[in-house]
Amino acid sequence: MLIWWTATSSSSSSSSSSSISRMAQSSVAARSASASAGDQTSARKKKRVSFAAGSAPPALPSAASSPAFSALFQRPLPLYFSAALLRLGLLLYGLWQDANSPLKYTDIDYLVFTDAARFVSRGQSPYDRETYRYTPVLAWLLLPTAHVGASPLWDAVWFSSGKVLFAAADLVAGWLLERVLTSSGSGLLGLDPVAARKFAAIWLLNPMVATISTRGSSEGLLGVLVMALLSAVMARRVTLAGLLLGFSVHFKIYPFIYAPAIVWWMDAERMGSADADKKKGSPAPGQNKSKSTLISRVTTFATPARIRLAAVSLSTFVCLNAVMYICYGPPFLTHTFLHHVTRIDHRHNFSPYNTQLYLASAFPDLSALRIESVAFLPQLVLSCFLIPIVLAKKDLPTAMLAQTFTFVTFNKVCTSQYFLWYMVLLPLYLPRSSFLEDGKLGIFALAMWVTSQGLWLHQGYGLEFLGLSTFLPGLWLASLGFFLVNCWILGIIIADVLREGPA
Amino acid sequence: MRERITFVQKLGDSIDPSTLKVTDGVLSGPEVQAVLEDRLTIALDELPTELHTLLKSVHELHVRWVSPVAYEAVSPLLSRLPPGMHLFFTPARGDADASDNLCPALAHVFGDIACSTPADSFTPLQNDRFSHSSAFQYFQPLESLSHFIAYAQDQLCPPSDALCAARLNSLVLASLLDLSYDTISHTLKITALWPYQKQAVHATSWPKLRTEVGVLSGEIPPNLEPHEVGLAGLLTVLGQDTKPSATMFAVPSRHRDAESKFSARFLEPTGTHPTLQVQLDSNKPPSGGSYCSAHAYFTLPKSIFADKYQLADDLFLASKNLTALRYISQPVDLEAPEYVMKQWGSAVLLELSPPKSEKPQPWTAEVPLHLRYLAPSPGGYKNIQVPYPAVFWACTAEEGTKFPTNPFERVNLGYDGLFGPRTVFWHVDPRPVSGNNRITNTVKVPVLDLDKADWVNAVTAITVLVGFAWVAWKLAAVYVRSGYGSAPSSQTSTQTGDKKRQ
Repeated sequence: MLIWWTATSSSSSSSSSSSISRMAQSSVAARSASASAGDQTSARKKKRVSFAAGSAPPALPSAASSPAFSALFQRPLPLYFSAALLRLGLLLYGLWQDANSPLKYTDIDYLVFTDAARFVSRGQSPYDRETYRYTPVLAWLLLPTAHVGASPLWDAVWFSSGKVLFAAADLVAGWLLERVLTSSGSGLLGLDPVAARKFAAIWLLNPMVATISTRGSSEGLLGVLVMALLSAVMARRVTLAGLLLGFSVHFKIYPFIYAPAIVWWMDAERMGSADADKKKGSPAPGQNKSKSTLISRVTTFATPARIRLAAVSLSTFVCLNAVMYICYGPPFLTHTFLHHVTRIDHRHNFSPYNTQLYLASAFPDLSALRIESVAFLPQLVLSCFLIPIVLAKKDLPTAMLAQTFTFVTFNKVCTSQYFLWYMVLLPLYLPRSSFLEDGKLGIFALAMWVTSQGLWLHQGYGLEFLGLSTFLPGLWLASLGFFLVNCWILGIIIADVLREGPA
Repeated sequence: MRERITFVQKLGDSIDPSTLKVTDGVLSGPEVQAVLEDRLTIALDELPTELHTLLKSVHELHVRWVSPVAYEAVSPLLSRLPPGMHLFFTPARGDADASDNLCPALAHVFGDIACSTPADSFTPLQNDRFSHSSAFQYFQPLESLSHFIAYAQDQLCPPSDALCAARLNSLVLASLLDLSYDTISHTLKITALWPYQKQAVHATSWPKLRTEVGVLSGEIPPNLEPHEVGLAGLLTVLGQDTKPSATMFAVPSRHRDAESKFSARFLEPTGTHPTLQVQLDSNKPPSGGSYCSAHAYFTLPKSIFADKYQLADDLFLASKNLTALRYISQPVDLEAPEYVMKQWGSAVLLELSPPKSEKPQPWTAEVPLHLRYLAPSPGGYKNIQVPYPAVFWACTAEEGTKFPTNPFERVNLGYDGLFGPRTVFWHVDPRPVSGNNRITNTVKVPVLDLDKADWVNAVTAITVLVGFAWVAWKLAAVYVRSGYGSAPSSQTSTQTGDKKRQ
């Protein structure tokens, strides 16, 4: 557990700041590292509590809850207020620790972002900061952090404004979760608001989520983008969904996997009413039964909503990239996109491919079977094709969860910060999961997930802190074990799509 | 071609002039406890063709080798560098070809030189601060001069000349070797230095070679300025003088003896982020009056590096007894594995923060470093050698003090260009930590064990396929029961609903 953050940093793909320095930050900082580990544990405990809270079918009032506990969810204010308070507390604690301890609360990534913002504020390129591998939008958003005024106190407040933004994004994501959980319709849960808030609390009151955003990691922004995308889709707001999809992919690439799921979900039957109002001439749903020539199938598939989504998201993505390229030239492409193609990924991380990639990177000519060049196949076949086709129309939020889970599990790099990518979608799936209905299964799955990760972390600790050569077989087998556990959990999530909703 | 041989003894250790005999161009005398410096100055056209061609297209080149074995030095021959081979280089203007020939030529002369071309392997030096810095830097650990000795014997000594070969062979025991060339002097200076030890005073003149021998010792002449060191002794020009002539002089010196020692070792366990602990004997600066600060100058091979972003926080630095990162060569890739790095490594200048106690006391500073991934290897471990830093107090001499070049002084050491022209370097002597008398530390780096790697590809592939098949099978099960359409409303819920509702 000690090197939870280590694992994050030692191979952070997206962020890839000086991972090692971050590492050292926690390595020299056993205390701070174990503090994060503690947060981690409590995060899990918290999750368990939430599970327990929600484990009774949410339609029924939970008998086990204490009055104070249920009061938290009766009205929105107490929940969001305590979520905000939790983050404010952590933010202030972080300021104190940063000012008084050589071990920093603030994530190294945040220093990368804010350095980049400082460059931008001086009219320079954010890519002048080494290891800035993000869209310039992030640096622009954090421009207030570069503000330097008269008093050091106000400077610290300005400097923290990015963390406030990330924390606020958490809250908005939580609110969107509640909205999606309460909305009703085909494949939707339509929970009552109290139950919905209980599930949203898994995200909102999760100390791990709160810690990550107040340490200054931008993953919270991604959470809100994905939730906004999902809720726009659910509300049939196609143009908004297209804008969000294009922006999200520009921001962090991986949300492109949601495009096929959303497109597949947006069939004429579902969008029919909205489209029919606007376009009378469009083919009515159900006509496809009469003719099934290829052309008619294509034209039936290409509904106005789908075309609009594709057009809006693509043009958003292209326009954003064009603007950034005009502003910052080739370094923008190199650092934001090409970096992910050319990187070697040799450093230890949770990915099953990791050991193989380290080996192949050192002896590029020797490896006859280039696993790494076909590694994207199972990942993309599942997350961009099979899962959307089979699941998206049945339950879009769970399909997106399964996609994200697959994408992270089968990725060539996998670090603990990627787990946040699917964690935001978890509250949408849990209400009808077999993990909650069958408590033993739920606890067993959680235990397997934690244990297999723990085994890996133990090997990682031996390597990074003790200097033991644990690459083979320890780390390798641990990452394969973690992979298989994830696949098993993924299988259950997929099968759960056929379960009945609690509503 | 000229030669200058200098024996330098410590303050007060002068020898009796009558013990030196000069006969037929041979100087002989008693054994003395001294540092021996031997400098050969060779005009460009006296050099082997290979070197001649190379140097003609070089503006400035300094190759400095320092032995990994600890040695004792004597004023004024005190300037120190981390052990290994250092290279400071300025190409002639617009001569790219010469640059590309440099690395192969170095490998030919010194043996195991890992650089490919200056563009790939060298780091640029800041030459905007003070004009005397050369443009590029290179460093690598180099265990011995054996390859250089063989090369020099082959190039310089006639096949029958056993004496020539023997003289070059004595370089095996040398602690320093400098090769310095610049276009202004059009000469190559080759300087070797043997450590402070018992040496027989002996020198032979060579045809076509003017040889000057000095047997000197430290001295405090009257009117010695604070920034000067005094020397006195006997000078002889072989083949010209019949007896040594006495001399006494003072030279301004930027490299002085702090008269204290330090050692460096890695804290255990080293892990992959080792901390180098520098232990100093004293927290007191050497010269009371002027402003002094303690520094450590590192040349880190590419397998290990310091992170400038980590070394930017004052609280963190203070907890390690560091004041600031004053300089780090750029760029330093923070992510790449060692086996794809073409650049030699990085040079780092750290200002240390001694405890402010009144009484002199020993103290330590800790330098956080990071290992790169090394290529997989049988056994799972590889050892890397990390040289000791050069540790010194940098003190500012009085306003108006000038340091014209002194005949024993080296410039272009990597760190001297990072300080102002009035800075005096008071060197702290390195003390070996282990019994082997070396001033390098070994780090055992964990790597992927090639002996165990046979099944990695196959088992990884099979595992991924199993995981893929499991997920695909679960998807297929969903598909078979309800197709790819919307959530089942009638058929499947009647089939499965009963079971689930219990």
